[in-house]
Amino acid sequence: MGKVMLEVRELTTKYITRFNEDIYAVDHVSLKVEEGKSLGIAGESGCGKSTLALSLMGYYFPPLYYTSGDIIINERNISGMDPDEVRKSILGKEIAYIPQAAMNALNPTQKVINFVEDVIHAHEPTATKKDIYDMARQRFEILGLPAEVLQKYSVELSGGMKQRTVIAISVILGPKVLIADEPSSALDVTSQKMVIKMLRDLMDRGMIKSMIFITHELPLLYNVTDDIMVMYAGQMVEHATAEQAVFDPLHPYARGLMGSIIVPESGLRGHKLAAIPGVPPNLKKPPSGCRFAERCKYVTPTCRAVSVNMREAANDREYRCIFAEQELREMYKNE
Amino acid sequence: MKGYRKYFGAKLIWFGVTLVAAFMLNFILPRLMPGDPVAVITQRVTQGMTSQTGVQKVYEEYANLFGTTKPMHEQFILYMGNMLKGDLGTSFSQYPRPVSDIIRSSVWWTVSLQFPAIIVGWLLGNLLGALAAYLKKGWDKVLMPVSIFVSNLPAFGSAIILLVIFGVQLSLLPTSGGYGFDLIPNFSFRFIWSVFVHYQLPFWSIVLISIGGQAIGMRSMAIYELNADYVKYARFLGIKDRKIIGYVFRNAMLPQITGLALSIGTMVGGALVAETIFSYPGLGSTIFSAVMGQDYPLISATTLIITLMVLFATFAIEILYGFIDPRIKAAQTEQ
Amino acid sequence: MKHILHEAFRSPKFVTGFVIFMAILALVVFYPLFVTDHPLAIIGQGTFFPPGIYVSVYDTTNAPQYTMMLPEAEGNRIGAKLGDVEREAMREWLIDFGIPRAEIDIDDTAKLMTLWDAYYDPALRFQGMTSARQKYFARLDASLEGLLVMEPRVIAVPNTETGAFEASQSIELTDFVNVNEVANVRVLPLGTDNFGRDMLTQLVSAIGTSLQIGLVAGTVATLIGLTLGLMAGYIGGLVDDVIMFFTNLFTAIPGIVLLILISYSIGQENRGAVTVAVVIGVTSWVWTTRAVRAQVISLRNRDHVNLSKLSGHSIFHIIFADILPYILSYVVMAFILQISSGILAEAGLSILGLGPKTTDVPTLGLMMRWAMIYSAHILNKWWAFFPVIVAIALISFSLNLMNTGLDQVFNPALRE
Ligand SMILES: Nc1ncnc2c1ncn2[C@@H]1O[C@H](COP(=O)(O)OP(=O)(O)O)[C@@H](O)[C@H]1O
Ligand SMILES: [Mg+2]
Repeated sequence: MGKVMLEVRELTTKYITRFNEDIYAVDHVSLKVEEGKSLGIAGESGCGKSTLALSLMGYYFPPLYYTSGDIIINERNISGMDPDEVRKSILGKEIAYIPQAAMNALNPTQKVINFVEDVIHAHEPTATKKDIYDMARQRFEILGLPAEVLQKYSVELSGGMKQRTVIAISVILGPKVLIADEPSSALDVTSQKMVIKMLRDLMDRGMIKSMIFITHELPLLYNVTDDIMVMYAGQMVEHATAEQAVFDPLHPYARGLMGSIIVPESGLRGHKLAAIPGVPPNLKKPPSGCRFAERCKYVTPTCRAVSVNMREAANDREYRCIFAEQELREMYKNE
Repeated sequence: MKGYRKYFGAKLIWFGVTLVAAFMLNFILPRLMPGDPVAVITQRVTQGMTSQTGVQKVYEEYANLFGTTKPMHEQFILYMGNMLKGDLGTSFSQYPRPVSDIIRSSVWWTVSLQFPAIIVGWLLGNLLGALAAYLKKGWDKVLMPVSIFVSNLPAFGSAIILLVIFGVQLSLLPTSGGYGFDLIPNFSFRFIWSVFVHYQLPFWSIVLISIGGQAIGMRSMAIYELNADYVKYARFLGIKDRKIIGYVFRNAMLPQITGLALSIGTMVGGALVAETIFSYPGLGSTIFSAVMGQDYPLISATTLIITLMVLFATFAIEILYGFIDPRIKAAQTEQ
Repeated sequence: MKHILHEAFRSPKFVTGFVIFMAILALVVFYPLFVTDHPLAIIGQGTFFPPGIYVSVYDTTNAPQYTMMLPEAEGNRIGAKLGDVEREAMREWLIDFGIPRAEIDIDDTAKLMTLWDAYYDPALRFQGMTSARQKYFARLDASLEGLLVMEPRVIAVPNTETGAFEASQSIELTDFVNVNEVANVRVLPLGTDNFGRDMLTQLVSAIGTSLQIGLVAGTVATLIGLTLGLMAGYIGGLVDDVIMFFTNLFTAIPGIVLLILISYSIGQENRGAVTVAVVIGVTSWVWTTRAVRAQVISLRNRDHVNLSKLSGHSIFHIIFADILPYILSYVVMAFILQISSGILAEAGLSILGLGPKTTDVPTLGLMMRWAMIYSAHILNKWWAFFPVIVAIALISFSLNLMNTGLDQVFNPALRE
């Protein structure tokens, strides 16, 4: 078993809306990523994936607030650490992030090189411009990006180029964990493939030690990550290897996701063409029983009454359902 | 450089088009009046005139200037020829003073009053708006309602309030005119001081009007930018807040420049009315007395000059903007 | 829609704006039920009566009289004529005349009056005294006539036969009347304007007219802007190019210029309030056009619109069922802004002398114009212009607050 790069225990964070309502978008989530491994996180749009990505970095600002739980990065517990300390010694260096909207992740009126300078100066105030330039150029070239990109404004770059530039900047300080939030969903198929190849490349070259890859398309994770977690309404509902999660999902929701038609997340809100009927619960007042109960084919009165915890299954798997593994398999067989 | 040339070329063409449109409008509008426009115009001004020959003289002069007896296209050529010569006709209300003479003596008062005031108001407004967006709590609560209220004061309203407070109640500053009524324009210190003192109230009331609207615009722009994806990304790479605020304000400021170009016409309109409150010897008061005296040639010429001023200012701002926003260059080279 | 209203009423900004606006509206609706005078009726002979309660002098003499011994009455009586300013002025004159300062005690009314009566001469004009000042002293002297005479006043009526005056009634210093028992009392909370018209009645009526002007201007501008924006955005191509050309053109050319030229061409006699409102509307559609067009373009290729097109729905069906509901919020917000800018535009035009013709109805702009022409601001007759400015500011403040509140409901990014 490799060294644990990131461990999260029972992390809960919430949004406070302007009407002072709490939205628990990440609710008691636990996960673990080892050195050299990658973890995929899948779930419908709005289930809290992006919020989880932000929460993992231990750096919060309104309207997102930390509630409880631990985040241990490279053997350091960062929950409760001074925010400025997190900023200086954790962000970018230990854990880095590729935002969901990488298209807009760069300041439109700043040259790429100047942004790189700002990133490095935030951590190493004494670095000279020349050193930074040389280092950035070398990094960019390794990742197959022409050095001219550094002298351009983000508006002058094409979509795929922007995405790869953002990735290159994210890993410039050699973070241990890289979180990629839907890095490919806004791209065309070729660019998607390039991005995924680039991320794998980063792992292979050891420029990052581990990776979390977030997507709303569960099938996409097969062949990309080692493990997969499925999220539903702020909670984890399934945790297994990629192979198991894709071909043998246990949770009814994970099964549904495999069968759902893939629609781009940016499509029509509220008009989702999903194979799973119904809509996720309102996170302002989540139901007390199983959160998936309203949409589940196999729902029983008990499901709505008792709250369900993650339970273990064979082969180190975990899932959140009142049915035992065997019962579920029986039900699925009869379909 | 190619990108710039394209941008400036496009702006220059548009400037030309709007200029032509302004002249066309100035040419066509009086001719759209029902009946014989010259008759209508002269009849209004000559209402009180008893001398029949006087009326006849005014009529003939205008029939000549308009060329009403000739076909439209010849009228237009005649009109443009007069414009090029700077011949704007003869004023009715200050007969026989040429209109161009009246305009010449008032236009500089307006230019040197309004443009500095609008620019100062724009700068102060942006500063306040940025502060309000950044400080949010506290200041925002005080500054915002105040600037919303101030910006809802009509232009003449704030002019009158300043006039009553500083001119009438405190008797600190003169209430009307561009310089002391007992002075003759010359380069003596006394005259310049008088001009300076008379400048204050109109100047600050225009500043006050422009501040409110700009502050509100800047605040929402800055809040919008503060929520932009690049802010989030920069934060999660560990860049200091102060630096990020720098990005945000620069980016929020840029659309405010375009906003100024778009709203300068409205601002000038408000400022013209404010001028009349102070009987400032600019174009606003010229229109006021021209309307009183039913002096169509003067009204027509004044509005034309105002249009030209505004078009020119807009053009200048857009050229300036092209140099400061890299997005302009990028957008043009892409095409 | 219900949801949006529900959200809107949770926004403190929207609620504040709504309450202010409704209060103004209530004033406009209910005030005329209590005061039925014509708003332009001239009731005062003279200009700018200050705010206050006006009691008929004639009727006070006919009202029942009561005797009251008030110790402060005499002091008040003298104080009303002889305030600090007047006492200082008298001392100034006496010093200039040559009386040593030490001999003048301005707090002792009797002594001061004795000195004044002894030396004051209206014909004297000292070095450096303006003629206005000299007249001031003459007026002051006249007003002091009989100040210290504490005798009853006698009302005399002419004898119809001889023509000689005969005393009919003696008014004691201690006589009082009850204001409630005087036949004619008129309250003028905001005084009168330069023509002697009741400012408050006129203001309420003017607010009503100005709101109507704003409403008509806003409706016209919104209808034009909506139609053009929908056409430009939905049809696209050449139609879009042509519409955008004119939109850009009329954005570049200042609206006030068009307003001035068109209003002047229409002529004073033909400019009713509605005409002015329509002219304002016709010259201020560009912003709505831009906003609507931008929204329509972003909607044009959405799935539900495409679906509707595929199912062969007519263009009207698509526009009314699939596009309008989505842009309604922007249109409503633009409409609200147009109302307030319409009211402002009318005021500006009227000040320049191009507002509605003056004999029909009062508008806020016309009230402003007359106050300015009669120099109310320089004469410090605040009641003639300040309430008008406050009314305009309150109307546009409340409309803008509602708008900002709605904006925050529709675009949560602009939250507090
Ligand atoms: N800034 C915010 N303020 C309040 N609620 C938010 C905010 N961002 C996201 N949410 C809510 O949190 C939930 C999870 O959102 P998100 O993490 O973006 O989901 P995902 O990335 O899976 O699509 C959603 O219900 C969303 O409405
Ligand atoms: Mg997301």
